[in-house]
Amino acid sequence: MRVTQSMISTSTLRHLNTSMSQLKLYQDQLSTGKKITRPSQDPVVAMNGMRYRTQLVEVQQFKRNLGEAYNWMDSADSALNDTTGALQRLRELTVQASNDTYEEGQRENIAEEVRQLKEHLESLANTRSNNKYIFNGTNTTNKPVNLENDTFSTNSHPVELELLKGVKIPVNVNPQNVFSEQMFNDIQQLENMLRDENTTAEELSAMLDTLDGHINNTVNERAALGARVNRVEMIDQRLQDQEVLATRIMSDNEDADLAEVITQLLTQENVHRAALASSSRIIQPSLLDFLR
Amino acid sequence: MISTFHGLETMRRALSTQQAALYTTGHNIANANTPGYSRQRVNFTQTEAFPNPAFNKPGIPGQLGTGVKAGEIQRVRDSFLDLQFRGQNAKVGYWSTKYGALERMEDVMNELDNGNAKVINQFWQALEDVSANPEDAGARAVLQQRGVALAEAFNHTYESIETIQRDYRDQIGVENSRVNSLLNQINELNKQIASVEVHGLLPNDLYDKRDLLVDELSHYMNIEVERVPSGGNTKEMAEGRYTIHLLDNNGQRLNDIVLLDGSTFEYNQVTVTDADGGQLDGPVTEIIIGGTAIAFENFTSTGSLKAMIEAYGYMEGGEVKGIYNDMMRNLDTMIAVFVEEFNNVHSSGWSLSEIHAGEKANGGAGYNFFEFSDGHGGGVQGSAKYLKVSAEVMSSTDNIAAAREVLDGNGNPIAYAGDGSNALNLAEVKDAQLNYGGQTASLDSFYQGIIGRMAVNVSEANSMTNNYQSLANSINERRLAVSSVSLDEELANMIQFQHAYNAAARNLTAVDEMLDTIINGMGRVGR
Repeated sequence: MRVTQSMISTSTLRHLNTSMSQLKLYQDQLSTGKKITRPSQDPVVAMNGMRYRTQLVEVQQFKRNLGEAYNWMDSADSALNDTTGALQRLRELTVQASNDTYEEGQRENIAEEVRQLKEHLESLANTRSNNKYIFNGTNTTNKPVNLENDTFSTNSHPVELELLKGVKIPVNVNPQNVFSEQMFNDIQQLENMLRDENTTAEELSAMLDTLDGHINNTVNERAALGARVNRVEMIDQRLQDQEVLATRIMSDNEDADLAEVITQLLTQENVHRAALASSSRIIQPSLLDFLR
Repeated sequence: MISTFHGLETMRRALSTQQAALYTTGHNIANANTPGYSRQRVNFTQTEAFPNPAFNKPGIPGQLGTGVKAGEIQRVRDSFLDLQFRGQNAKVGYWSTKYGALERMEDVMNELDNGNAKVINQFWQALEDVSANPEDAGARAVLQQRGVALAEAFNHTYESIETIQRDYRDQIGVENSRVNSLLNQINELNKQIASVEVHGLLPNDLYDKRDLLVDELSHYMNIEVERVPSGGNTKEMAEGRYTIHLLDNNGQRLNDIVLLDGSTFEYNQVTVTDADGGQLDGPVTEIIIGGTAIAFENFTSTGSLKAMIEAYGYMEGGEVKGIYNDMMRNLDTMIAVFVEEFNNVHSSGWSLSEIHAGEKANGGAGYNFFEFSDGHGGGVQGSAKYLKVSAEVMSSTDNIAAAREVLDGNGNPIAYAGDGSNALNLAEVKDAQLNYGGQTASLDSFYQGIIGRMAVNVSEANSMTNNYQSLANSINERRLAVSSVSLDEELANMIQFQHAYNAAARNLTAVDEMLDTIINGMGRVGR
């Protein structure tokens, strides 16, 4: 085939351009750390990338929700612990008072302590965490218990958080099982009985059963909460695994293998160098250089 | 009898012929870099030998040659390669233009790291945060702003596509007038060529110019060139006038349309029009060539004009189609379906302000989260362009309905501030299987489908462009191998012609000396 200068320069230019675009590709991969910079370079990678990224965002969001769930449950647990303590103390006081040897002034003192414990229980029922009343169902902006005007919340709606795709976990305890109107009424009655000098030891002893009932309720509720915490912890574990997995899949899918890319870049650079060098040698001489 | 001056005459011819060859070499060298130039060569032929075989021929031994003449100056070109090149060039034009259009769309919708999918994800996260902290004004404010970001992202995408589409409309106008200008120029060249050819001359440089223009025309549409002889005293090698036919994508003549008629020196104006026939502002309906209108769906001539119209938008079977229109329609469908469902869920819930008031707003209808600004016709079209967060939600984050309705002790509907279950329901709309224009999918998967199809189209267009480009390149290479100027070759020729010229001159001197001997040296015996 006849070869002319213009053919050499056109094809040289074309090959240099191809070589440059290869260099650009590797440069892009190195500077972004990604296999592709446009979806069209590999539609499958791009599609999967979008899906994996969404998955990862979801896992990360569920982890964030998890923090909120722990917040609710830990606060409730510690409040229920204090509640049990207060109820135990009430029981002790009742046992003490039912001794019948206590004189009026002493019972008065006990009654005073009962009153204090009752207010303590009120403040426990009104526990706030993260600016929310945690023992008022979904009505978190209002106090559940107000002894001054004898109002007791009846909201028993669960507060649910989504911790896995489609898995909603209630994070609050049902306040009616612990801080019920009945409980506060019973304690009030206990206080009234203590202040009443006619109350007999038997009558006070009878209150013990009532108190035991409330202690049981609290303990049961706490146990149920603990079981749910366990479940949440398992979800936590699973989310951590999933995050690692999702990150890895995403990385496998779209991250460039640096060692490979650098090797390819160096190879390509050599090719380009050779192309430039050979072009400069081919284009330069013509017959003219050898004629006098 | 041989003339006394026979030798002089022979060498005179040799000198002028070698000179012509040298000049042609000069012309070749001068045009070595001229686009479309084909190298020219002088065809040398011997002049008629002496004597002619006739009855009273002189009795001399054999025929005596009388020298050389320049037969004609011919351009070296292979018209079959031209034919092949133009066929490929039309395909390169089609695919490269299509690739360009798709690539610009991909620039707008590059979903790798910072695309609309990310905005959707962030919006979803904000919903989850509100569901965890429904009474928190901060979480609500984030949701409101993420909603704004979502709306703006889609407004922006839509408007960017519209801008590109408008650019393409102008581009079609430019391309259209370029086609007409090419036809006009080829027509003018036809006239010039015809007027030169009839005198038995070969207008090589005009042929080159005309072929270059035809090459360019073949980028815009698939064409076929037919030669019409000029008549008169034309040479056998004369290429005649060109008649240009429009071809469809199978290489068959399209509706027998003649773009340019070489026999009548007339060409047909090409006009791209939309429904109202005036300035192009709507989708293309037809292409008028001369007096013939071809509906665009029947305009199957591969080339950049077709690709550009396919990008910009056209009517087919009463429907608007086109790369950009399809994408806008997809976005509109996606937003319209999503917003309808999202608003349904949102308005069924209770906002903080409704909780305070103790009853649902708007007479029980509740608040919408998204709405469309003025200019939206109410249908699906334009949904992505006019999407915005509703005025109620913009005026107060308390109007975000995160709570679900429950019944109080008396059986009356009520809701509580700490209830984030409606926000959760809203978050689930992202994954809800909805009917997106006949396709059941979730928001994510529908969007991924849009991007996926686009990416596949871009990559197809890219590889088709490369394929046809390399085919066209290799044909062009073969064309160059035949026609382009090799400087080495020209220099070698130059030396050859120069030496021949010098030798002829030397021969002339020898003849001169011979004559000198006869004229000045003879008859002087003894003097």
